[in-house]
Amino acid sequence: MSEKKKYKVDVLVVGTGPASAAASKRLVDAGLKTIAIDFRKLPRHKVCSGILSPRGHRFLIENFGPLPLKALHNPTSCKGVTFHFPSASSMPIDFLGGSTPHLHRKFSDHWAIEQSHVEVHDETAFLSLTTDGKKAVVSARCRGEAIEYEARFVIGADGPNSPVRASVYPEYSSEIPWFVVAQKFQPIIECPLDLDYFHFWINPKLGHYTWSHEREGRLIVGVGFKKGGNVDEHHKRFEDYMRDKHGVRLGPPERKEGGSHNFGPSIINRYVFGKENILITGQAAGFFNMLAEGMSCALHSGAIAGEAVIESLATRHPVQEVYREHIASEVNRSTDQYNPIKTVFDNVHEADFKSALKKLSRGDQLRAVRDLMKFISVYGDLNWGRQILGQSIRRLILGTYSTKRWL
Amino acid sequence: MKPTPKKAGTMHLDNVAPDSLQGIPRQRVNPPMWRRTSDEDAKDTWPAFVSDLKDLGININEGRAKRAIFVTDAGGLSYGMPDGVFSPSSATDIAEILKAAQRHVVPVTVRGGGLGTEGEAVAFGGLLLNMSSMQRVVDIDAKNLTARVEGGIFWHELAEVLRRKGLDYISAPLNFTSTVGGVLGVGGVDTNSPKYGLSADQAIALKVVTPTGEIVECSPTENSELFNRVILGYGQFGVIAEATLKIRKFTPMRMNYFYYSDLRTAIEDLRVIVEGEASDYSGILTIMDRAITLLVGFDSKEREDEFTKKTEPKLRGHGEIGFGLRMAIYYAFRPWKIGESLYLLKRRLLLFPDLMRREFTGKDGEIVDRTVIFSRAVWKHWGSKKMTIPDLAAPEDKFIEAVERGNAVCKKYFKYYTLYCVGIKKKQDAGDNHYEMSCVPKDAVNFAYGCEFEPSYGGGKYSRDKLQSFKNEIYDIGVDMDLSCYRFGGMMKGYIRRLFGDEVVERHLKMKQEADPAMILNKNTVF
Repeated sequence: MSEKKKYKVDVLVVGTGPASAAASKRLVDAGLKTIAIDFRKLPRHKVCSGILSPRGHRFLIENFGPLPLKALHNPTSCKGVTFHFPSASSMPIDFLGGSTPHLHRKFSDHWAIEQSHVEVHDETAFLSLTTDGKKAVVSARCRGEAIEYEARFVIGADGPNSPVRASVYPEYSSEIPWFVVAQKFQPIIECPLDLDYFHFWINPKLGHYTWSHEREGRLIVGVGFKKGGNVDEHHKRFEDYMRDKHGVRLGPPERKEGGSHNFGPSIINRYVFGKENILITGQAAGFFNMLAEGMSCALHSGAIAGEAVIESLATRHPVQEVYREHIASEVNRSTDQYNPIKTVFDNVHEADFKSALKKLSRGDQLRAVRDLMKFISVYGDLNWGRQILGQSIRRLILGTYSTKRWL
Repeated sequence: MKPTPKKAGTMHLDNVAPDSLQGIPRQRVNPPMWRRTSDEDAKDTWPAFVSDLKDLGININEGRAKRAIFVTDAGGLSYGMPDGVFSPSSATDIAEILKAAQRHVVPVTVRGGGLGTEGEAVAFGGLLLNMSSMQRVVDIDAKNLTARVEGGIFWHELAEVLRRKGLDYISAPLNFTSTVGGVLGVGGVDTNSPKYGLSADQAIALKVVTPTGEIVECSPTENSELFNRVILGYGQFGVIAEATLKIRKFTPMRMNYFYYSDLRTAIEDLRVIVEGEASDYSGILTIMDRAITLLVGFDSKEREDEFTKKTEPKLRGHGEIGFGLRMAIYYAFRPWKIGESLYLLKRRLLLFPDLMRREFTGKDGEIVDRTVIFSRAVWKHWGSKKMTIPDLAAPEDKFIEAVERGNAVCKKYFKYYTLYCVGIKKKQDAGDNHYEMSCVPKDAVNFAYGCEFEPSYGGGKYSRDKLQSFKNEIYDIGVDMDLSCYRFGGMMKGYIRRLFGDEVVERHLKMKQEADPAMILNKNTVF
């Protein structure tokens, strides 16, 4: 048997998505020896709507430069979000920062990680991890060959089903609710919807998360619901609804894809940030913006994970302590979006919902709010209501969310 | 063969949506690590650069420990590792390095005390030129009141040499490790700036190493074009190897303090003093917008007496006891603000003794060395490993509004913060372009005013994103009100075009491309 391949690094980043690119950028800039690993061959496909928030867009430009055309889908940008209600008329809301890019995740993620100048080992699957708090040893496999990484820090930026998180908290995945999100690509025969926008249906009958937008001449028909539901049924219901209500006529689906996601931690402030020298970040930690836009908070939280490692090395403070202090700003930003008090009295979203609502007629405003309240009831069986309220009141009085609720 | 000009300095607009981000042209402000190659081919140019210099006896230090010393600056947010470090001992060293850098297209970042906060002196690869090795005082002319110094000398060290002869520099930032070269490149503000102007305006001649490696002596009369570009040139047009500065006779500083609880009143009074030229030193230092101290200083008893007679009656500030009583009453009726009142009290008890320590003051309480007093106090009571000090510089009429708007932003982000306001006298005989693309706003008539907004946080518990958002929001005020600011390079360079306008920036970029064909000197800092 041949000798196991070994690497000794300052930081091992697991995953090569936006969170990893942002963390890697910070670490490489600070001169730390860093390797990022991914189990797939890069560039890799990614199931995603590809719509980035203005804040994420800004982060990409400021840290990785102007986006190459290759990293974008057609149409290349998105003006904002249009909400559709069962009884009120539809409500378009422009993003506050202007149009944002429609990312081709396969290439945009690859471009970002390349721009970070980190050493990437692709086709390298994370297997297991042990740590004594100072030194972590990660076993991985690359094309059948065993590899061992010895790292002072490990950053798990490996998405919703994070294997790094699973190795630190084996029980976690079975304790949280999971949602299936699936999209079909259907040729457009007729579509009266404004294709400059991302469309979202606030309709309890259609499911937890129902959306549509154009990509490469096809319409994405997207549905999201609690794990256990039937994808085709949801799709059929949504397609029929779009035909009857909006007059959208589509050809048969050419492709479908989906995945499971961990919505929830952001909503109820139950993030997972890791233990000792293992940091968890991005969607693995539970970051999600409103409407399931995860890229901008992945970029920012990833950067914070990288900065925490650097500051921990410079100040000799325990890295978890530094990380948790710094991540509070990102937690506030993400969780504020689901905080009813903040939503009403502050501007926490990157699109101005309140002024868009004011543009509707008085009757429509009331119907929209009523529809919204009914929609929230879809989430009723998750028992989040009391937690959201408790956290919102705490935020109002103390100015922060509870850090004790984090893992 | 002369290398062809690079497009490196041009700003790439986002090609996704030209109107994206509210029409704000964003650009990359965290530069990529230099990949040790020129743009034309993928050949690693670094080893050839190092060996060329080695042949000339210039040994570049490539050790990781040495390079890591310079990984960040006083801001503590921007990080970058150079590929090598060199501490020059003469203008010839610098010239050889810049010649080789042009040839091999290797970026060279010049660093003095590293007191930038936006990564202006952080090297994202390439060579870091550590100027703090050039710290000699070359000559002192006590008769004509001038001093010739090397560019890397700390102002404070110059002061120590001068004071042995009863002399003093005129004006410099109140910080132990600001270097002469660094300050002449960006401005330099002291509490006597209302009287003398920017520290950079005290330079009368320079020995500059141009980006192509020529050693040129320049002054307002000799090679004046180069002199004007290098002064307030943000390090883009040459390395200051030596400088001749105006100096003056040493005088201790006689201090008066007035206390205010209203920001607007305090600033109006500051304007009365500055624009009436009623004092030799002045400034405002606050604890939030609750306890506002107006500092007024004098070089002589006569000046002080004149002020007491003519100007003091016009001021609306209180003495310490009167102000203390007012505060006590204010907080007595606002018991929910107990935390804030205790914080003020603690600040008062800790900070004031440090401003009046016996070992640094004369027998009448006059300040013998303001740098020692203020630099100690700043780093002890405000400083941390992350200095966050966004600022706004405004003409006379816009200043109060700028400070009030900035104050509102501070309140939104931080519980405790400090504002520092000071006036700057404009050099009257300076040409039209003298203050172009500098901290002095274009519509300032006789005086410009600056305000620094500094959060006070113990230890550094905020993410870079939070601090950056804070800075952006302050600078957004500058864009909105058409002001200028002091720290516009590095991580804040996305604001340069928005503050100064495309026409001015394009013109400066063109000058830079002519002066530095390979765009190697302080690359990415401004352009």
